[in-house]
Amino acid sequence: MKPPSLTVRLSLLFAVSTVALLLGLGWTLERAVALHFRELDHHEIAGKLALVRNLLGRATTPAALASLPADLEAALVGHPGLALRVQASDGRVRFVSARGQLPPGTASARSGSGQPEDLLWVRWNEGPRAFRGLIARVPVGVPLQTRDARTAGMAEPPSDTVAIGLDISHHQAFMAEFRRILVLAMLLAAAVAAALGWAVTHAGLRPLRRITALAADLDASRLGARLPETRVPPEIKSLVVAFNAMLARLQDSFQRLSDVSADIAHELRTPISNLTLQTQVALNAARDADQYREVLYSSLEEYERMGQMIGNMLFLARADHGLLHPTADVLDLAAQVWDLFDYFDAWAEERGVSLRLTGSACARADPLMLRRALSNLLSNAIRHTGAGQQVRVRLDDDGRGVRILVENPGSPLSAEQAARLFERFYRADPARSRRGETAGSGTGLGLAIVKSIVEAHGGTVAAASSAGCTRFTVILPSAHPHSAAQAPAHSAGT
Amino acid sequence: MKILIVEDEPKTGDYLRQGLTEAGFIVDLAREGFDGLHLAAGGDYDLLVLDVMLPGLDGWQVLSGVRRKDPDLPVLFLTARDQVDDRVKGLELGADDYLIKPFAFAELLARVRTLLRRGRSASEPTVLRVADLELDLLRRRVLRGGRRIELTAKEYALLELFMRRCGEVLPRSLIASSVWDMNFDSDTNVVDVAVRRLRLKVDEGFEPRLIQTVRGMGYVLDTPE
Repeated sequence: MKPPSLTVRLSLLFAVSTVALLLGLGWTLERAVALHFRELDHHEIAGKLALVRNLLGRATTPAALASLPADLEAALVGHPGLALRVQASDGRVRFVSARGQLPPGTASARSGSGQPEDLLWVRWNEGPRAFRGLIARVPVGVPLQTRDARTAGMAEPPSDTVAIGLDISHHQAFMAEFRRILVLAMLLAAAVAAALGWAVTHAGLRPLRRITALAADLDASRLGARLPETRVPPEIKSLVVAFNAMLARLQDSFQRLSDVSADIAHELRTPISNLTLQTQVALNAARDADQYREVLYSSLEEYERMGQMIGNMLFLARADHGLLHPTADVLDLAAQVWDLFDYFDAWAEERGVSLRLTGSACARADPLMLRRALSNLLSNAIRHTGAGQQVRVRLDDDGRGVRILVENPGSPLSAEQAARLFERFYRADPARSRRGETAGSGTGLGLAIVKSIVEAHGGTVAAASSAGCTRFTVILPSAHPHSAAQAPAHSAGT
Repeated sequence: MKILIVEDEPKTGDYLRQGLTEAGFIVDLAREGFDGLHLAAGGDYDLLVLDVMLPGLDGWQVLSGVRRKDPDLPVLFLTARDQVDDRVKGLELGADDYLIKPFAFAELLARVRTLLRRGRSASEPTVLRVADLELDLLRRRVLRGGRRIELTAKEYALLELFMRRCGEVLPRSLIASSVWDMNFDSDTNVVDVAVRRLRLKVDEGFEPRLIQTVRGMGYVLDTPE
């Protein structure tokens, strides 16, 4: 499923949160209004009850009792929705209002045995109409002012049952209308919120669209372009910075790739133009067999150089694609280095360079690959060492990794040069390049191959230059076959 | 000695045939897999040189077909794919050796001779002789014109290689791999230096000069005609 656009997402979230907020607010408002109406109703009913209580309390004489219905009738004037019924304790109905609805169960005559509660609020519906009311017992013939004194211990005076009903349908109707308006307002607000959210998001995301447009403009030929890091909101800034960093890395590897292609083209163009030239010159005139043979020999040398370079490039390409799968044999590095010294011995001696090894270590590595890497490091060191000087190899194992140091006295290198030594075709000394001091020497790939091999083993290689000494440091994962397996045997033996 | 080459690349096939013929072998050439298998079944060959990438049957299929009929026929694989998998597969299927393209012709010739020599385990000589140069394998002693020559261990190994393969041009890579076990191209002239030093001890002051440089190919120890 396609993920929704950021604008739609934000608008929806905006609308949903607005509706949630309004729902809460509406519910509180509705509750408050409903409570207020209940208060009003109660107030009105309680007012009528006080009136009735007052009239009944003052009816201390039969004459007063007789005039009671008239008084009550007068009290109900102007209250069409109000119903009143007063029943004496002996079941006799003293008064019933003509209109209105009484609380259910009070309209019929009742026996005096079941005394109702002192005061009981009721709420009921009659068809579409709603009512609120109360049923109360009101003492007869006890004026309000003396009532407190009576409670001190006098006998219970006779009390009437008063029922009051109030039509509250108009309040209910208002509440219904109020709720309808609330819902409508909420729907409208949600729609407005969504629209506003869309507009706000759309405007808010403008910097993002600008960045996107800029990014879309980039292509391989314009990798140097960068997105502006100033004038972008902080939220996007980290994205822009990350994007720029990615561009820089891309540009770097792209540059390196095209450098390598250019280098290959250049490295191959020189021998090929040599070959073409000498063949053309050779064919220009009739020559004897020796001269033709000379041309062929010369060609052969160039072919070998090219073949070797292509072989090395292929090796590096395989390394780049993670196709080197070194074995993990346990190797005695000192023995490996001695073998290499043995190999380079005559050559080094001829150049007046001595070789020296100190320390020992064991590593887990592919013997063939490691030998190739060390051979390249050594031949590089020997080649750059002056007569009468020494190439030193030091081995040690600090428990975390095996270190192989190859040091030779040599011209100082800048840190930048040292870092670039492992790049393909890089030559720290341009004058040395392609001088061809020995047949097939220095394709400019030896150290790049060292790096590939070491990294395929999970190790690192670095070059540094200090005090007229060039030092290559290879760090390989350590192997502890002897310390682990032979330590007990040693202690047992001695 | 009869050799069958199965190689589809026209130039490679032609030059291999020419080179091996001029080296004194009887050579047949098949351009594709079915022909190769057919020829191998009929002809009485001493060695099969097989390209991996072939039309029709590929090198692997030809190899297993050949192996079914003649399990002992030496087979040399040529592969352009510089891949360990190929080598492992080839060697598992019973190839005796392989060469990765591009290879030096001298290297191919040396490998071919090694494979052909294998199996013919004639009684091992204890003394190798070329002209007045004598190498005593048992006593590890070298004499030239009756005079004792002192050699280092590696010089001795190098001379032994030259004398065992007297008359064969040995490419530098083969020398490095046989004497020092360096199985990769080195960008140094270590082998040249070593051969030069050996030559100083073995040839300096003697006639004829036995160790000769073959330009563009390697070195050979031989009596000059």
